[in-house]
Amino acid sequence: MALNIRGILGRLRSRGAGPKLKRRKALDNMAWTYFPRLKILLLVVGYAWMLCLPLKELSRGIYIDENALQPGGVNTNWNWGDVHRADSYLSELERLRDSNATSIERTDYISLQFQKLRIPTSIQNYTFYTRSGPIYGSNAYAILSSPRYSGAEATLISASWLSRMGDGDGTLNLRGVATVLSLAAFLNQYSLWSKDLIFVISDGYMEGMQAWASAYHGRTQSNMHAEPLQLTSGMIWTALDIDYPGHSFSHLGIFWEGLNGRLPNQDILNSFHVISRNTGGVPVLLHDNHDPNDDNWRDPLPVSWLPSTLGNNGRVKDYAYRARNLLRHVTYQARGHPSGIHGLLHQFHIDAFTIFAVPATGPHGFHTLGRIVESTLRTCNNLLERLHASFFFYLLPEPGTFTKIGNYLPSAVVISTAILFSGLRSWVQAGWVEVPVPASKEGRAKGSQVVKWERRSRPSLQAVLIILATHAWGVPLYFISTWPTPPRLLALACLCSSMLLASRFIDKIDSDTRKIAPIWMLLRSFNLCFASTVISATSVLNFSLAAVLAVLLGVPLSFSGPTDDVLTSVTLRFAYVLLAIFWFTPAWNVMDQAVWDWEFLGGYFSPFICMIYVPIIWQAVIVASLTNRS
Amino acid sequence: MDINFAFGGLVAARLLLSFVPLPDQLKYDHLLSSPLTSNLRLHEGIYLFKNGVDPYSGGVFYQSPLYLSIFSTLLPLNRVSSPIIWTLIDAVSAYALVQTWRARSGVGKSNRDALLAAVYLFNPYLFLPSLAFSTSSISNMLHLLSIMFAARRKTSPALFCLAALVHVSLSSTLLVLPVIILLLGQPKSSLANPKPISIDFEKGRMIGLEFLAHFAVLTLTSTFISGGFQWLWQTWFVELSLPDLTPNPGLWWYFFTEMFDHFRPFFLVAFSVHLLIYIAPVCIKFQYDPLYAAFILTGVLGTVKAYPTLSDPGLFFTMISLFPEILPYLRYPIVTSLIHLHASLLLPLFNHLWLSQGTGNANFFYASTLVFGVANGAALMDCVWAGLRIALGETKEGYEVVQQ
Repeated sequence: MALNIRGILGRLRSRGAGPKLKRRKALDNMAWTYFPRLKILLLVVGYAWMLCLPLKELSRGIYIDENALQPGGVNTNWNWGDVHRADSYLSELERLRDSNATSIERTDYISLQFQKLRIPTSIQNYTFYTRSGPIYGSNAYAILSSPRYSGAEATLISASWLSRMGDGDGTLNLRGVATVLSLAAFLNQYSLWSKDLIFVISDGYMEGMQAWASAYHGRTQSNMHAEPLQLTSGMIWTALDIDYPGHSFSHLGIFWEGLNGRLPNQDILNSFHVISRNTGGVPVLLHDNHDPNDDNWRDPLPVSWLPSTLGNNGRVKDYAYRARNLLRHVTYQARGHPSGIHGLLHQFHIDAFTIFAVPATGPHGFHTLGRIVESTLRTCNNLLERLHASFFFYLLPEPGTFTKIGNYLPSAVVISTAILFSGLRSWVQAGWVEVPVPASKEGRAKGSQVVKWERRSRPSLQAVLIILATHAWGVPLYFISTWPTPPRLLALACLCSSMLLASRFIDKIDSDTRKIAPIWMLLRSFNLCFASTVISATSVLNFSLAAVLAVLLGVPLSFSGPTDDVLTSVTLRFAYVLLAIFWFTPAWNVMDQAVWDWEFLGGYFSPFICMIYVPIIWQAVIVASLTNRS
Repeated sequence: MDINFAFGGLVAARLLLSFVPLPDQLKYDHLLSSPLTSNLRLHEGIYLFKNGVDPYSGGVFYQSPLYLSIFSTLLPLNRVSSPIIWTLIDAVSAYALVQTWRARSGVGKSNRDALLAAVYLFNPYLFLPSLAFSTSSISNMLHLLSIMFAARRKTSPALFCLAALVHVSLSSTLLVLPVIILLLGQPKSSLANPKPISIDFEKGRMIGLEFLAHFAVLTLTSTFISGGFQWLWQTWFVELSLPDLTPNPGLWWYFFTEMFDHFRPFFLVAFSVHLLIYIAPVCIKFQYDPLYAAFILTGVLGTVKAYPTLSDPGLFFTMISLFPEILPYLRYPIVTSLIHLHASLLLPLFNHLWLSQGTGNANFFYASTLVFGVANGAALMDCVWAGLRIALGETKEGYEVVQQ
């Protein structure tokens, strides 16, 4: 049998392979020459796309995807009698507040009210063991069994004792609690519920709901003791958290961001929007941001800097408003910090959000809120199957509109592609070296330098080990982030300088760069490729986090590398270190909250920053500190 | 460092790792065990078997009767024995890999041995399924053992391991031809200087017959153990008829969840025959280096077989270390590695989005298995290219290699 290898070794001009080879060479050359421009183009497109996200053109009006929901299709029966009942609950609660009642006394009172309504009720005590001592609390809850079905499914209505005002700053949610109690009495009268109704009055802010939801779903954690629940029901599908801190309200705000950036299904939010507008006649806000046409509109910062003609322009105002909504969303989602106690439920596959009655002098109160919640519960009650999976990916720039995934995801992915291409270029660059050739006579006469490209080897193992070491170095960084500020900053400085010191030793690895690629090129290549992968993988899990990473890392990494100029190099390294550790400085009070979230709620933001984000920048610092060999 | 010492150290580290209290979740992971290799189903089958119920009468147990007999008598599975057994299986596989390397390179002990063992024992695609006690570790062991014995010209052990391999995983039929050629030829690398080989067909026929004899013995034993022929339909035929559409990282399951029933037989045949068409071209092309042909076919199995887990492509990637001579000729190793990096992040992520978090659906996970398929395909194509390209040697000044 004759052997036939289908590669041919031929001269460049040989007839068969010539044109194809030429095309390939031309393509290679073109890719190499135009590459820097392509990178800049991708970066510009990516960053511009980020800036365009608030534009009206990228979003569209909301619609209801699940036909079974039928929002606002029922007559509501909540009336002034129920409002009166809520008022009397409120005055009792106020009495408890004024007498400085302990949480046990409060839950006893609440539980007693459920008993009076003949709804099965129970109390759950819990303890959180924090660094500053234990936090005790107790939740009251009641389960109204569905008169029509077996109780395999349930809807949750909750109110926390502390309102979400100022992230649980101590404002009481008395009217929210009163609403839930009064709703329990009201909903008990009807036999149309196809799902069990669970009423939870949780203690504290996040702690109570964390203890309750963990116990309900059989989760334990070492720093929390939560009593097991005596009453349980089936799987919870939807949950409404009612937060009503003022004495009346003009708008209802929705808070929907959950732990680790999880979002509820958009259909639930859309239904609430429709019901609130049509049934209750209350305009809906995203978070508590008023819109520009409202009296409560506060001039957002960027607009007040602009000349007044621009600042008063409708489109500019509109853009600023939508941008502010999105930024607010990013601050919650990127940090993975729940914007209300509903955020603890998404991990259990529950579509939950908080209805926040934005404090105002009027005109709405218990009467409107009760009708809206009643109608929303009827809509939840209609659900026959899980809401569709495609409705979990959205941005809400404005009430009543949303941006779909195809319109926002590419912004982060394009930037990550630019980073990826820079990394690949570094890899190619590492594989070849330019060698001057003793010029021929004609060449010397023309005075042109003749060079040729030679291959060199790319030992990857060392670079991979260095990268792994920087990520391992993130573990001490995590422990440092749990310390109080002064020692924390000191230890941070030590860790960062250890990176600069390490680069002294890494610099010694390079030997003959004619034969072996310099270490900085390999390191840079892997650093960039890894960063790009992290951004694209995160983008489907938590878009805000991916966007923040893309914006922060895009330009700094794409243009990283050693420089010959000492001053530039030092400035660059300083800038990188700053970019790495600004989260930890007291000015950005992010890490304390993030560490708390990780320890008690399981939010992964702080380990992510310590073990992925900072090490990626450290790698860039090492690259920038190495000697610029080519 | 002494290889025995290093090997012992690696195995001990691996054993320690398998005793780390891992969440049982690992056993349920779709990426680590398929319905054909799941440890949970094995336990179920053993339970039924011990209680006198035919494990093949339901739709739960799809594994060989040999596993039933071995794990219900000789090696009972429990919390202590399972980690030890699976570590030993991996140790034997790593040993087989090292021995194959020695046979191929023609040297005795070398520094590379420890590296090879580590590449097997600590390849995440291999040790994660092993921590989930997936029986794919056993088929990987048989796979490497048959190649090792063939490389060392131990005809009968090689054929026995091969017969056992085909018995527990029918799609490994792809390996039969290259292993037989390897028994007739030699394991040394001749990628760089290919020449036609002369095959002693008479001897080949004898080897083929011996293989069939081993295979027949195993088949009869299985029939005897399970007391009937029902197991044939519930093990081998399952790989052809795909009754269980539990998601896995392969390319088959999603197609057949979407397919109308009346097209099913046609596409089942197309998918199965598709696997077979690779045997002849690869074995003819790489006849001068049958070990390389076996390696390429391992890659084909890892990419397009019926119920793959991570350990199938994992075996292919570990086997690359047997052929260090091809590494400089790979065209796009970093691209392949990057696609793999993406796939290995996306696969668990999308599986989680779909099945735990509920915010994605099957299409998400399917998309990530496609990325994984592209990554495996890219690696396979590049290895075929490099294996052929190496014969042309270093390019000379002013010359280029093109594919026509």
